[in-house]
Amino acid sequence: MRKYFLIAKNTWDETLTYRVSFIMWRVRNTIQLLTIYFLWLVVLSGNKTILGYDQPAMLTYILGTSLLDAIVLSSRSYAVGEEINSGNLMNFLLRPINYFKYWLAKDVGDKAMNVVFSLIEISLIFIILKPPLFFQTNLFYIFLFIFSAFLAFFIYFFINFLLGLVGFWSPEIWAPRFIFITILGFFSGSLFPLDILPKAIFSILKFLPFTYLLYFPLKIYLGQLAFSEVLQGLIISSLWVFGMYYLVKIVWKKGLKTYAAYGK
Amino acid sequence: MSVISVFHLSKYYQIHQKEPGITGSIKSLFSRKYETVKAVNDISFKINEGELVGFIGPNGAGKTTTLKCLSGLLYPTKGEIRVLGFNPYNRKPEFLKSISLVMGQKNQLWWDLPSIDTFLLNKEIYAVPDGEYNKVLDELSRLLDVKKILKTPVKKLSLGQRMKMELIASLIHSPKVLFLDEPTIGLDVVMQKNLREFIKEYNMRFKATIVLTSHYMGDVEELCRRVIIINFGKIVFDGQLSSLVTKYAPYKKIKVLFKEYVDPKKVDILGKIDKFEYPLLILKVPNEKINSVSSNILKNFNVEDITIEDPEVEDVIAQVYTEKRK
Repeated sequence: MRKYFLIAKNTWDETLTYRVSFIMWRVRNTIQLLTIYFLWLVVLSGNKTILGYDQPAMLTYILGTSLLDAIVLSSRSYAVGEEINSGNLMNFLLRPINYFKYWLAKDVGDKAMNVVFSLIEISLIFIILKPPLFFQTNLFYIFLFIFSAFLAFFIYFFINFLLGLVGFWSPEIWAPRFIFITILGFFSGSLFPLDILPKAIFSILKFLPFTYLLYFPLKIYLGQLAFSEVLQGLIISSLWVFGMYYLVKIVWKKGLKTYAAYGK
Repeated sequence: MSVISVFHLSKYYQIHQKEPGITGSIKSLFSRKYETVKAVNDISFKINEGELVGFIGPNGAGKTTTLKCLSGLLYPTKGEIRVLGFNPYNRKPEFLKSISLVMGQKNQLWWDLPSIDTFLLNKEIYAVPDGEYNKVLDELSRLLDVKKILKTPVKKLSLGQRMKMELIASLIHSPKVLFLDEPTIGLDVVMQKNLREFIKEYNMRFKATIVLTSHYMGDVEELCRRVIIINFGKIVFDGQLSSLVTKYAPYKKIKVLFKEYVDPKKVDILGKIDKFEYPLLILKVPNEKINSVSSNILKNFNVEDITIEDPEVEDVIAQVYTEKRK
């Protein structure tokens, strides 16, 4: 296990060598966050509510997505595609190391760094702006929130990995990834809670993985879901985790057979 | 007992052909033409424990493809491979722990971090005990003279220094079977020599089996008794380096340095002329005629110096390459 710990640590060290870029990237994140934050602050000023969201609930949702974003949506495993194309993959195939776990460890190192910064940013916002936030006190909901975020982490990891594996068949790894990012930006719920959308659209979204990345865990935290809805959501996202896992495994095996270890 | 055995190995690639320019790109969107390239075509050989074999051939002959098949990177199109009793493609951890593939252009070092971080990671990956790790690292870094730069970030190292670090990273688990693909590429003359010494010593001390490809005949001549020559995906020669020379080059070179001007016409009748730039003459003479030709020269010309040499391995191999093409 120590080897995976070392990979996480090396990734952390690697990020530290690009301190300035990393900090600029966090600054950009914070500005983006503040923009959405102020938008909703103004829209929901006074005692207004929109579709069941009052000001504290909405602001908690928005700040919550920022934190979850750092935990769930910061996977770098899409770089698998570049490693396949550059031929760098062979360095891993030649060593007794599990390539999935390698990326998982790398992501943990990367995420740890992002979470630390994200927590600092949110604390600063909290201290300076003193927003009215909603605090969940029910431990059961908090536990379910953490569990659903855990599932989200894996769903996103596998989707990204799968997009990287496209590299086995095509050098154009960016095209599918770009489409994915565009869809993700809208349907993950990082800009607004998804249940604001018309019922017909939302009922389709319920079966797609995007819903379970940010929106679903935060809805649990806010305590706005009935137990049956929570259960349904957990079942669907678990199915996505296992489904994606097996899909990645199959595609990986097929890809390796066609792999020409080109590049160098 | 053979450590490596290869039976009728073939590896074909499907290569997508594209016509040049934008029209070519658009065309390739709709109908792609694929061509099958037979990188390795039905080769068989065996290598015993402790052997140091040179695997040579011109660019694109299939050397690297074979090494990749042997180390489990490529799935063979046909044929069977056994390395240390394993099927390489399954890449069992016990198999991976006993082999290493070193490629001149491979990069497993963490670019932004000091090399020592990669070594420590490999130590964990290969589960090398502390004592052994320290011993091996100490020895390798002394031998390759890199002790002072172990803690320098990889991106700040020169090409040659990086090559040495790659080598250490690949050997930290003391592999029993070593595949070296162009190991001396990018190294200066002194380092090339050190590296050859090192490979020799590694081979003897650990009884390691080594397969080496190189473009520098110097590497092969100094290190390998046995060579396998591959061209167009086929083995064209497999045997002792010395018998290669007698088989393909049953001639010697006579170098003559004349004392005074000679008529080119008179030189012509001596035999096959390799080079004639007065005062130097180089003749290619079949082994059985050496005596008569050299005495003929000494009798009829005013000679300053005369030497008889074996043909250079490089020339012989070049001859093997071109001969088979016809």
